[in-house]
Amino acid sequence: MSERDPLSFEVLRPASGPDAQGRRRLHPLTPLIQGVRWLPAMIIAAITLPAQMELTVGAGMLLAAAAGVLIVAVLAVGWNYLQWQRMFFWFDEDGDLRVDSGVLQKQERRVQLSRLQSVDVLQPLLARLAGLAEVRIEVAGAGDSRQSLQFLTLAEANALRNEVIARSAGVRHDAEEAPEQLLAAVPAGDLVISLLLRAETFFLLLISIGVITITVLTAGSVGLLLLLLGGVPIFQVFNQFARYYDFQVADSPDGLRLRHGLLQRTRQTVPPGRVQAVGFVQPFLWRRKGWVRVRLNIAGVASGNQGSGDQSYTENVLLPVAPWPVALAIVARVLPGVDIPAVPLIAAPDRSRRRAWIQWRRLAVGWDDAVLVTRHGRVTEHWEVVPHARTQSVRVTQGPWERALGLASVHIDSTPGAVRPMALYRDAGEARDLAEAQAGRAAAARAQDRSLRWAAQQPAPVAPPSAADEPAEGLPAEATADHPDPSDRG
Amino acid sequence: MTTPEGSAPRTRTVDQAFMPEGEPWQRVSPVLAKAYRIELVIGIVLGLVVVGLLSLIPDMPPAVPVVLAAVLLVALVWIWIVIGRRVRSWGYAERDDDLLVTSGILFRRLVIVPYGRMQLVDLTAGPLHRALGITTVQLHTAAATTDASIPGLTPEIAAGLRDRLARRGEQRSAGL
Repeated sequence: MSERDPLSFEVLRPASGPDAQGRRRLHPLTPLIQGVRWLPAMIIAAITLPAQMELTVGAGMLLAAAAGVLIVAVLAVGWNYLQWQRMFFWFDEDGDLRVDSGVLQKQERRVQLSRLQSVDVLQPLLARLAGLAEVRIEVAGAGDSRQSLQFLTLAEANALRNEVIARSAGVRHDAEEAPEQLLAAVPAGDLVISLLLRAETFFLLLISIGVITITVLTAGSVGLLLLLLGGVPIFQVFNQFARYYDFQVADSPDGLRLRHGLLQRTRQTVPPGRVQAVGFVQPFLWRRKGWVRVRLNIAGVASGNQGSGDQSYTENVLLPVAPWPVALAIVARVLPGVDIPAVPLIAAPDRSRRRAWIQWRRLAVGWDDAVLVTRHGRVTEHWEVVPHARTQSVRVTQGPWERALGLASVHIDSTPGAVRPMALYRDAGEARDLAEAQAGRAAAARAQDRSLRWAAQQPAPVAPPSAADEPAEGLPAEATADHPDPSDRG
Repeated sequence: MTTPEGSAPRTRTVDQAFMPEGEPWQRVSPVLAKAYRIELVIGIVLGLVVVGLLSLIPDMPPAVPVVLAAVLLVALVWIWIVIGRRVRSWGYAERDDDLLVTSGILFRRLVIVPYGRMQLVDLTAGPLHRALGITTVQLHTAAATTDASIPGLTPEIAAGLRDRLARRGEQRSAGL
């Protein structure tokens, strides 16, 4: 964006233009930055390893270590140079992004932009100092559907981001960057307090204090290593702070834009209609503040490994911390026409107490014409919202204890991510009806849904007004108006 | 099993919830039980071999291998019986817009997969299942948690099911 980054020197000019076939290269400084990235780790290893082996550190020793680090660094940079030399990207006649790469094994990849899920512009600290940025493109697909281009100058990266989004949206690819409107910003103070009020932070700090105490008491030759280990939990907390520092959410016609990061700056763009599910998380200690954390499922962005038992994902945070009203207002941009507090919730039956004696009062499920809402968790409260049109499949499950109580749970399968909508411990017959009805609602919503193909169906307009064309999709305004407010969140 | 207050007609709904009447339920081949039992026997035999090796360790109280072997044999009999019920619990129903898959005795589940959401249909068969002439049909959606696989189908039924599913999936395809 146009904002001035105090950490970036922006000394670099854009790399050379396209070659004879219209192919473009990444910035020539790429191999250096990729190689230098490992330097701190190598230096630490060079210092700690001899100390661990209790060798006497003499001048020769130091020289050998320095030489070792240098050789490894040169090799790394050399390898990265070869990779850079063989890496080309360009847009083909169909408007899709093509990437050729590979030193030993050639890879030619075609990124189908009609399946675009999100585009990120990342600036790791080193790249940021040099004014460079990485572009990360996610398309829907199984397995490795992520294409990363590192590094370009920030201006080039932003231009590429705009071009990718414009091409995927079917608008003219030389269109201006769409204007944006800031929706919310998280104050640094709130972020610090919210992190301190999380139970996991408390445990991490406890571990750190424990490890450091033991180290100080027993201080021996392993002291340095243990001190480093003890720092890891604190570092985790700091990492969270650094990642979500200066979090900004902005709305623009080509999607929601998220910007955050203290050292590594990230700009994430989520095109309209790509959000598969939204989750609200409220840790126990946030309740008095009325704060909540908002997470998203976005197809392709989450899954790291292929395979059906895949549990790994990175958390997609829409808002690290915000008051409920702000969170709801922003989610309303992601899911246009949805009024979450107005969705009537139905509590789980009283006998669910015997299965879930802490959280049973908080168990609930509800739905309206557009979304299904589930709620669970007593200490940390979770709300999940999944649009009917994004329901993948519906599962009813029942363990032995549930069976004895005549209960069953309904799970709405969403794309892999942190948000897993589940209506726990319903009456078995009701669960079955709910699953069946949800499958029906999902089928009806799919038949009407057009936001999936916003790219294909809007050839002409330069900047499709997303807020204006979304509510037309089967969401009459009166759909949610006649419900009394059932929400009893504290 | 305990029946809590106000639950008179519920036992029936419980069973109905997972395999409701009125749907065109298809069962899987009883050969699947044979395959599971062969796998079970192989597993138990391997376990017994380990126990046998244990008894060769000097200073090992003789009771330990005997107890372990007994446990393994009891498990063999018990799981042998359960496998029959487990295989009978599998069922699938092709409806107009979605596929139902149900399974499980202790942990029961029913999955509703809309045809429009299917991304892949896999047919798989390991060496043992191939030798016995059965195949597993696995459905994949964009959700990793869908887990709709139907084991123990004869290759003809499996191929027919796959083709029907693929055709319907194409007709109703709905992107993401």
